[in-house]
Amino acid sequence: MNVRKIVTVVEEILEEGGRPVSPSARVAVVAAVIDNPWVGQGFVEDLAPGIEAHASDIGALLAPAVVDALGDKVEAYGKAAIVGLDGEIEHGSALIHTLKFGDHFRNAAHATTLLPAVEKRGPAGVTFDIPLKHITDATIRSHHQTVEVRVADAPHPGEIVIALAAAAQGRPQQRLASLSTEQ
Amino acid sequence: MPLALLLSCGMQEPIAASIAADIGLRKLVLYREAVVSEGGSRPPVPARQASVAVVIRNPWFGTAPSTDLAAESRRVAPVLARLMTDRLQDALGGVDAIEAFGKGAIVGTGGEIEHGGALIHTPYFGNLVREFLDGESIICFADARAVAGEPLVVPLWHKTAAATRSHYQTVSARVPDGPRPDEIVVVAAASTGPRPHPRIGDRLTDPIVTSSNVEVVLS
Repeated sequence: MNVRKIVTVVEEILEEGGRPVSPSARVAVVAAVIDNPWVGQGFVEDLAPGIEAHASDIGALLAPAVVDALGDKVEAYGKAAIVGLDGEIEHGSALIHTLKFGDHFRNAAHATTLLPAVEKRGPAGVTFDIPLKHITDATIRSHHQTVEVRVADAPHPGEIVIALAAAAQGRPQQRLASLSTEQ
Repeated sequence: MPLALLLSCGMQEPIAASIAADIGLRKLVLYREAVVSEGGSRPPVPARQASVAVVIRNPWFGTAPSTDLAAESRRVAPVLARLMTDRLQDALGGVDAIEAFGKGAIVGTGGEIEHGGALIHTPYFGNLVREFLDGESIICFADARAVAGEPLVVPLWHKTAAATRSHYQTVSARVPDGPRPDEIVVVAAASTGPRPHPRIGDRLTDPIVTSSNVEVVLS
């Protein structure tokens, strides 16, 4: 796996809706910009060897880093694969939609649910929104949230940006009735 | 350098709610990047860059250009300088690791560029950022008036020897939902080293170039 750069983003929200958020709400993202393992090879029918070669390594790199960057207990999480213009979205999906990738994050965060994801193709500097949901119960509405990310010079056409996102809490000022009240 | 070292973060102290309320601080975004490979090879001196962007209420929103900016500048800018340089040090491994710095402001569309300048160009910010980061150079900058989500490319140069060409670099800062028209995004940025593969010489190695000795190229 050839990594070109690693990006860390930490957002702290201290006020929302004109009211203080205390303690501040924290969301962290760590992204790796890597070579697309399948680019330039025409249509690759079987992606399994590439998944086997790379998915676990990327998960192992990003999972502890995003937990460290958050600096707190992870309550909600999500993931992203942003494919450069010469690749297929399937290439990004291949690397993140496997337990070999996600289990690193689930283990580091003591999580059990599936990771919500964004998969997208775009030029360098494209913005992308990573959806996050609660780590043990994806129906908990307070924790449905999104973090927006942009890496100014990535992905190049032959690259993929793989990212993990972690939040230490739900939305700031969350106040929606729980799903159970409508069932 | 092992990847794990490039990734590690220092402990970030929570920002006190009272400080946030005092300066109208809505949000802080820390961005950090580490170049592992560039042009297919590892940088001989790996560097990390970081920017800290804070979104604050424009203290002068709705005031006329005749308004004296000094009092609010003196009240707000030192708090920003302390907070933002603390975050940069946490992100980059301490003051001694930081070799280059820069600053910036994005003023929301309801303010004046002058308002951003009042927060970053006076001694209440600049002198303190320089002191907290153990620098001597003038701090280079970028500013803009823009809508939320507009990236600002912030220049950096060496903190004690500004003409060190290897350290001329930029980092892009951006807050997706800021600044609102009545807000200002203030940016402080730093780097732990040079560009990935600096090789364009320096003042000490430059030939003397004048219009007469490059006549052939110009004609």
